[in-house]
Amino acid sequence: MRIIFVFTVALLLGGCYQNESGLSDTLLYCTENSPQSFNPQISHDVSTLDATTHQLYNRLIKIDPTSNRFIPDLATHWLESEDKLSYTFFLRRNVSFHQTDYFSPKRYFNADDVIFSFNRMLNKNHPFHSVNRVSDTFFFNHPFTNLVSDIIKVDQYTVKFVLNSPDATLLANLAAHYAVIHSQEYAQSLLSRGHPEKIDFYPIGTGPYKFKNFQSSRVTRYLAHDLYWGEKAAVKKLIYDVTPNNTKRYTKLLSGECDVITYPAASQLSKISKNTDVVISSQPTANIALWSFNTSREPFDQVEVRQALSHAVDQKTIVDAVFFESASATDTLLAKRSWAFNPRSTHINYQPDDSLLSLKQRGYDFTKKLTILTPSDNSVFNPNFHKTAELIQANLFDIGIDSEIISLTHAELEKRLLSGDYDTYVTGINIHINDPDNLFRPLLSCDSTVLEGNSSRWCSAQVQELLDSTLIEPSFIKRVRNYYELQKIIQEQRPYFPIAHVLRMDAFNKNISGLLVNPLTGINFQNVRKIEAR
Amino acid sequence: MLKYLFRRLNLLIITAFILTIIAFMLQHWSSGSIDNRNYFLQYIDYMANIFQGRWGISSIDQRSLLNKGLTAFASTLELCFVACITSIIVAFPLGILAGLKRNGFIDYTIMTIALIGLAIPVFWLAIIMTMLPNAVGISLPVDGNISPVFEVPVISGFVLIDSLLAADQYQMRAFADRAAHLILPAVVLSFFLITEIIRLTRHAITMIMRSNYIKAAYAKGLATKQIVLRHVLKNALPPIIHQIRLQLSTIISFAMTIEIVFSSDGAGVWLLTSIQEGDYLALPAAVLIISGFILLSSILIDILLMIISPTKRKALYADQ
Repeated sequence: MRIIFVFTVALLLGGCYQNESGLSDTLLYCTENSPQSFNPQISHDVSTLDATTHQLYNRLIKIDPTSNRFIPDLATHWLESEDKLSYTFFLRRNVSFHQTDYFSPKRYFNADDVIFSFNRMLNKNHPFHSVNRVSDTFFFNHPFTNLVSDIIKVDQYTVKFVLNSPDATLLANLAAHYAVIHSQEYAQSLLSRGHPEKIDFYPIGTGPYKFKNFQSSRVTRYLAHDLYWGEKAAVKKLIYDVTPNNTKRYTKLLSGECDVITYPAASQLSKISKNTDVVISSQPTANIALWSFNTSREPFDQVEVRQALSHAVDQKTIVDAVFFESASATDTLLAKRSWAFNPRSTHINYQPDDSLLSLKQRGYDFTKKLTILTPSDNSVFNPNFHKTAELIQANLFDIGIDSEIISLTHAELEKRLLSGDYDTYVTGINIHINDPDNLFRPLLSCDSTVLEGNSSRWCSAQVQELLDSTLIEPSFIKRVRNYYELQKIIQEQRPYFPIAHVLRMDAFNKNISGLLVNPLTGINFQNVRKIEAR
Repeated sequence: MLKYLFRRLNLLIITAFILTIIAFMLQHWSSGSIDNRNYFLQYIDYMANIFQGRWGISSIDQRSLLNKGLTAFASTLELCFVACITSIIVAFPLGILAGLKRNGFIDYTIMTIALIGLAIPVFWLAIIMTMLPNAVGISLPVDGNISPVFEVPVISGFVLIDSLLAADQYQMRAFADRAAHLILPAVVLSFFLITEIIRLTRHAITMIMRSNYIKAAYAKGLATKQIVLRHVLKNALPPIIHQIRLQLSTIISFAMTIEIVFSSDGAGVWLLTSIQEGDYLALPAAVLIISGFILLSSILIDILLMIISPTKRKALYADQ
């Protein structure tokens, strides 16, 4: 009898369970994936950016979220030379790096740190260039290699970036997530201890939070950086908890086990928005969900076939059924917000009858089974690849085309893509900076591989010429005109069928304020405040 | 007694030998070894490494597999243990009641519920239990071992114990949080166990109530309560324990499934992520740890049975 009593009491005590996120100095952020590393220079996935860019590091300059202008970060101000070939940055003084149990800085931030951070990417002989095999990936140094010829230390607090040719994208690149500043002193101490690889996993930066630990591929802990040069973070302990299942993330948000969650389930958005205790933040991004046609293969080398298939797919149904309110349907690759967006782009209408007619006229072989390749894991640019592929399959079936969906895991998919053995591919692309070149080049350049984004295996001399000439074009008007031209060609040629521009979604409890989400560089907890839960 | 132990150990050694062969083959296959020496020598090397605690290194985080496996398995055991205690407390009285009131209303009610419990797949129940409490307004944690707010150092691997050891840092909050995280998984696992124990108890009780010595006790004029407490329970226990011993591996595998649903860092999640990340060396390690545990515990239960049940003592003598 006594034991039953004890047991009942224990159960009742369990009922009084008070979740610990009630503490106002601790904030729990539930994310979808764990970061690949703690260095946004080498990993560009959303989880890494969220975990690093704004929390651990600073850049020389950043973009003001309201005015979209470049504002100072670690550089207090900068000067552009007359010939537009060099930029001089004046650095902030008395900025201290993180003090952790694995590193104690002995000096303040200075020009050496800037030079170290960029030379790791630019200089092939740099001792850190190939650490962690980062130089194997195309995106590692790609934005800066053709842009910057040299970085000169003028004095301890002045650095000069010398460009190969006048290029308007330098400032945008310096404000991007991969332009974060590392500590040269830390790197040297790692090198002398023989563990240079630790630089990407035991990070030292100047940001408002410092790294504490990363536990069992699941929990990342940060502490506020007491010596931060700017406004210090109000939340002292920041914890990232990886919860891959989106329904569970929402449950945890409701039970108070998370304060902020990333990407609530697209299918539950309308329900979540009715909950008055929860705030949804949604940010338009330039990330786009695509269906690409393999233009190196019959019959997709013919523009008429690509156009006809584009008209056979009911884009609205896909967006409604897969993305719900987490994306906006689009006819163009470039987002409407972009300065280079061509307003006179043609609309793709859903006209299966016309499409069928056009295919018949072209003598399309309806007996051929078409392949639709999809990744088996969903990603930020598509909440459900397989369902998207199924809807496309149904649309194709309506006009008499038989198709097969091939869903592959990451490693198998890469092999298949490289072999070129596919007709179409349901995919998407992640955009890192607001410059249109960052979208068009991976998708359309002859130099860009399938894995870098060119899944339609597109290569046209005309497009390549436009891409290359626009990049070095000093006149803004001309750049805009070139991009208009480029978009016109792409709309006509249609190597890609754009499905939707996805939104960056986060949800948080209403006692959280000051949360900033930048769709390009990630989430920012620096100004977050938390009212004590009652 | 010694002879008996010796015989059991014999059995243990043979089974363990077979297990290590399986683990060795798994390891050999997964590491794609290009070692050209003969298999026997390789096996000897492998065993030497096993005995020295060198079980290999995880390719995910470069930690020792033995260490990781034991920590993960301890968490699974903790869940099993809590669920066992809960279900014994709940199921034993119910089973006795059903057995005594055989074919009565109470019996049918209890057995219906138990049968439903037996028919429900554990993983389904687990998924339902992640949502149901919240829907009726009970807020219980559904994810993880313990809130990441608490940084409990791993000492024994049993998080309940470790959180008590960390009490000077978090007082009892870490312990309470761990207990709260255990409630739902334990409820799901004990659901299966409860049905199992009810059935076993009911069966054992009915069999014993029919036996002659119970009739004799009635004839002596003893009250039912005295008979049950003094004679029935004592004799019903050994067959129940014996049956549960046979179910041990089922319980552990159910616990692993439940852990995956509740994403608690136990053996289930450890194995799943290891396979997903291509860290196949975790498989032989898991085979050794889990089956080793089942072997050892079944021997311990045998010895326990021998102590409490005179009929089992027959096994002490070699000729039986």
